[in-house]
Amino acid sequence: MATEIKTYDVVIIGAGLAGLRAALAAHEEGVSVAVLTKVYPVRSHSNAAQGGINAALTDRGDSWEEHAFETVKGGDYLSDQDAVEILAQEAGRDIIALEHMGVIFSRNEEGRLGTRRFGGQQRARTFFVSDFTGQAMLHVLYEQILRAKIPVYDEWFVTSLVHDEDGACAGAVAMDIKTGRLGTFAAKATIMATGGLGRVYEPSTNALICTGDGMALAYRAGAPLMDMEMVQYHPTTLKGKGLLITEAARGEGAYLLNSEGERFMARYAPTMMELASRDVVSRAEQTEILEGRGVNGCVLLDCRHLGKAFILDRLRQIYEEAKTFANIDLTEEPIPVRPGMHYQMGGIKADVDGRCWDPEGQWKGLVGLFAAGETACVSLHGGNRLGANSLLDTIVFGRRAGQCAAEFARTRLAPRLSPAMAEQDHRLIQSIIAREGTGETVAGLRYTMGTTMNRYLSVFRDEEGIETARRVIHELKERWNGVAIKDKGRIFNTGVIAVLELSMMLDCAEAIIHSASIRKESRGAHFRTDYLERDDEGWLKHILLYYRPDGPPEVAYLPVRITRWQPQARVY
Amino acid sequence: MKYAFFPGCVAKGACPELYQSMMAVYPRLGIELEEMHTASCTGAGVLQEKNVQLGDVLNARTFALAEQRGLPIMTICSTCQGVMSQANARLTADARYLDEVNHILAEEGLTYSGSVQVKHFLWILLEDFGEDRLRSALTQPLQGLRAAPFYGCYLQRPTEALQFDRYPGRAAALERVMEIVGVDVVDFPGKTRCCGFPILTINERNSMSMVAMHTSEAKRHGADIMVTPCPLCHLNLDGMQRRAAHQQKTKIDLPILHLPQLLGLAMGLSPRALGLTRNIVSPDSALAKLGITV
Amino acid sequence: MHTILRVRRFNPESPNPAPYDQEYVLDLEPSETVLDGLLKIRETVDDSLTLRCSCRGAICGSCGMRINGHAMLACKTKIVTVAPHGGLIRVEPMSNMPVIKDLVTDMEPFWQKIRQVEPWLQPEGPPPETEYVVPQAAMQHLTGVMACIMCGVCVSDCTVWEVDSTFLGPAALAKAYRFVADPRDAATMRRLLALNQPTGMWDCTRCMECVEVCPKHVAPMDRIMALRAKGMSARVPSTCGSRHAEVFTDIIRQKGRLDEPLLAVKTLGLRNWGRLLSMLPLAIQSFIHRKLPPSGPLHRAIPGIRSIRRIFARVEKRS
Repeated sequence: MATEIKTYDVVIIGAGLAGLRAALAAHEEGVSVAVLTKVYPVRSHSNAAQGGINAALTDRGDSWEEHAFETVKGGDYLSDQDAVEILAQEAGRDIIALEHMGVIFSRNEEGRLGTRRFGGQQRARTFFVSDFTGQAMLHVLYEQILRAKIPVYDEWFVTSLVHDEDGACAGAVAMDIKTGRLGTFAAKATIMATGGLGRVYEPSTNALICTGDGMALAYRAGAPLMDMEMVQYHPTTLKGKGLLITEAARGEGAYLLNSEGERFMARYAPTMMELASRDVVSRAEQTEILEGRGVNGCVLLDCRHLGKAFILDRLRQIYEEAKTFANIDLTEEPIPVRPGMHYQMGGIKADVDGRCWDPEGQWKGLVGLFAAGETACVSLHGGNRLGANSLLDTIVFGRRAGQCAAEFARTRLAPRLSPAMAEQDHRLIQSIIAREGTGETVAGLRYTMGTTMNRYLSVFRDEEGIETARRVIHELKERWNGVAIKDKGRIFNTGVIAVLELSMMLDCAEAIIHSASIRKESRGAHFRTDYLERDDEGWLKHILLYYRPDGPPEVAYLPVRITRWQPQARVY
Repeated sequence: MKYAFFPGCVAKGACPELYQSMMAVYPRLGIELEEMHTASCTGAGVLQEKNVQLGDVLNARTFALAEQRGLPIMTICSTCQGVMSQANARLTADARYLDEVNHILAEEGLTYSGSVQVKHFLWILLEDFGEDRLRSALTQPLQGLRAAPFYGCYLQRPTEALQFDRYPGRAAALERVMEIVGVDVVDFPGKTRCCGFPILTINERNSMSMVAMHTSEAKRHGADIMVTPCPLCHLNLDGMQRRAAHQQKTKIDLPILHLPQLLGLAMGLSPRALGLTRNIVSPDSALAKLGITV
Repeated sequence: MHTILRVRRFNPESPNPAPYDQEYVLDLEPSETVLDGLLKIRETVDDSLTLRCSCRGAICGSCGMRINGHAMLACKTKIVTVAPHGGLIRVEPMSNMPVIKDLVTDMEPFWQKIRQVEPWLQPEGPPPETEYVVPQAAMQHLTGVMACIMCGVCVSDCTVWEVDSTFLGPAALAKAYRFVADPRDAATMRRLLALNQPTGMWDCTRCMECVEVCPKHVAPMDRIMALRAKGMSARVPSTCGSRHAEVFTDIIRQKGRLDEPLLAVKTLGLRNWGRLLSMLPLAIQSFIHRKLPPSGPLHRAIPGIRSIRRIFARVEKRS
């Protein structure tokens, strides 16, 4: 089947904060840019980031070194420190740039940008827009995309990456969801910015679109996934669907209480209390719940003492959310919360310029591919991401990836792709539509996958659980071939997309399990009850996985890059 | 039952038949009214485009005047009702704002404490008067007459200021009263939409499209007449109906009755006493269905 | 709770593509949402049911649809609020936009209007070294508008858009307000002049549908009214819309009450013979039907007019 080929210097997959920031940066470098998104840009999950974005502004007495150190400590020393230094140093500039673009950050009495406190940090260095910071930033970046008239292919679903004759990444094949037709996008540089994989878990704070597409696409195309075992559980999520209550609630002073009304964090993190890093707080909560001091499987988040006016001004969205989805008035009663799957620290291995290959050749990657945001692993967040560092990650490394991709594209000739490139994907989609099936459904398989992951690859892990999960996921991959859908049409066939997403999620699940089985220590979010201690001798290193279609992934290791902070015991 | 009566500008202006029919109907319900002759226009949401606070002060003045009499306010206009409800909601939600407004009123020797209830005649029929008493006041059966309700935006939205939470019956009050009166209620999607009157002089084409759409849709659903508690809607739906029909190159001829006109008919009052000859689209043939001649 | 979802279906690829209703009987908790119901259908009964949805938490704006006749986000609409005692819930795609399939509408008309208002900050000159220094008070109210998630719900239920798809509509006008009211933006006058054109801020009929349905309390109509006020105080060229508000206010100042004929004549403009003449038949008809107030054709001032004029003077002096 021949498809139309569209050619750009840089093609960006994903239109969340990282993707849009990358698109703007590449556009400013003067190359031709297009953005592909399976939704509309403003529907992206960056919206969900509530609390804020970190930056140490040196002109107001904060120090980037302190921010960097707290990030490294928060990550349990698995972060690459050169990347963290860049993050902390460039943060201020990028925040100001956002303000200039139009983000309506909250201000202080002098009319300058104001800050609030967030977890794992001593100082208030989190800039914010009420408690919908991500949304406010995403909409402004989209405004800038409109200003720059950068073409955005709304509701195009990427089905695979393509390679040129030399094996470099040369763009992507994608389906126009509105028509069901496939198109090929030829690009000198391709930036993956598709966000996280939350739906691999059930429940998760993540939106239904967070299906790990970018990680699976890059992985299958030859790029390695790194530190996939590092899955963050957020300490304050709602029971049921797992919706998020922002860390800003605790940043603004809310307490965590157990069934006895005790601020139990005093026993786990006497100095930082509720604002210890997320892995620490989540483990503390889970311990309280397991030891019988929970309230119906939850602990309580108490905002009452903050006062109604304050809550409505600074925590307006979660006030609404609690009212709508938990039927609770935050100003009058505490709200039950529990740890819930939230963020993937791992992802497509990328360097500080977003490159998914190493120009020096120390690790094997995919030339021509870049990655930024949650889908990438730079690695900033190491074993555990600090709150309000994810937005910063998207902005700093989205920009850097966009700049580097543009620069790279200028050195390359446009790839010559054959219109038949899309043939394989076309056949796959046709076969899914035509399947008779064995009674398996996407929903059934996804639910089994999600609950399995949430049971065995969560706050506490051990070998037996990990191996059980491995068997389940392996079996689900077999059963995937028996999934059929009722919709036989081409136009807006969300059934086909769900089947394709499920297969990508299964690849991601497998990678998480494999990595988790290899890392025999407890570090950051990866806490193994059969290996209780952090083991810097053995495991101060990254785990890289390479996709193998028939069999377990190939494993490689990279040392953690340490610039100035030697690993220490981690106390909050 | 006694109210401070706020007829609104249009009942005493371009829709005199509304005032006339109200005057004919209310004594039969045993309601007492004290008309507020010194009260000003509510601003109708138009004055508020220029200055919201000015509107709030004018309405607070009206509320203070009613408080002096110790009476709740009765309106017979959706727009008056809505604008006053919104003003009252703003004034009572924020004590500091009420103080500020009272400060301006002080020189008039007035102060508003925030206690006044403002109610449309339609709501009063159900909430204060009651369905049973209403039924017993009716003498003339209207069975067989198919009538479509048309509220007027301001009696439907915003639901918060109109206190639909506290009075859930308000959402469908017009249909309820029409049922009690005994007409066949014709449901159609346009009943809570806009009549187009506010943009009549601004974008006449759109305004006429709205008139034509709602009246002809009601007719398509089988209505003989339309009933509205809003004189502004009446001005457009009745007064401009022929022009709207002309714009759409069609004929509509749907008589539009004010709510008290319908009630009056059900009480056996003569069409003339209810000002029905003043309606522009003639209700004669619809009334003939009931054996009533004008 | 026994609930019936009656869903409007449409398959453009069927041999006879016409919308039809399909009913699904479900057992739902009162606290569950309409989206929960629809996903349950998709997961357990009919995976061909097509809709957009993502965040489940009223922040992505994907799942706008009409529920019992009004547009809302399915993820924010609880079963108990739309069917308190169980029973039937009607689910249809949003209005005022073409339907692509089932509950999925073509949002292009929506985005086109958003793009039309040049929705990006247009400051003057190069940016400062650090942030723009602006008082928090001047910025804080903008968070209420930035809360817009572009779900299209207001456009779906807009009564003007329904009869005139060239109208900019509530979402785009609220977006425009966000920049007009931003102290950092320097294109205020240019924006106001553009919005002063036909299809712009004066075409809103103030029906409040958008205020009522907006799931994020953006109150688009209130923003449109604020735009009008800003336009009038910036002295954009007068239009029927601005004259309507100005004349209305003047009449209340002079008489304490409305004078409909005077309002119409002055709004249309004394020199606008065409429009004035076109109103003549109505005037004649009103005369024939004796639609005249008891006090005669000329409206006199209300008895309390002195008090009204003093209030005008005091409030207008303050603002």
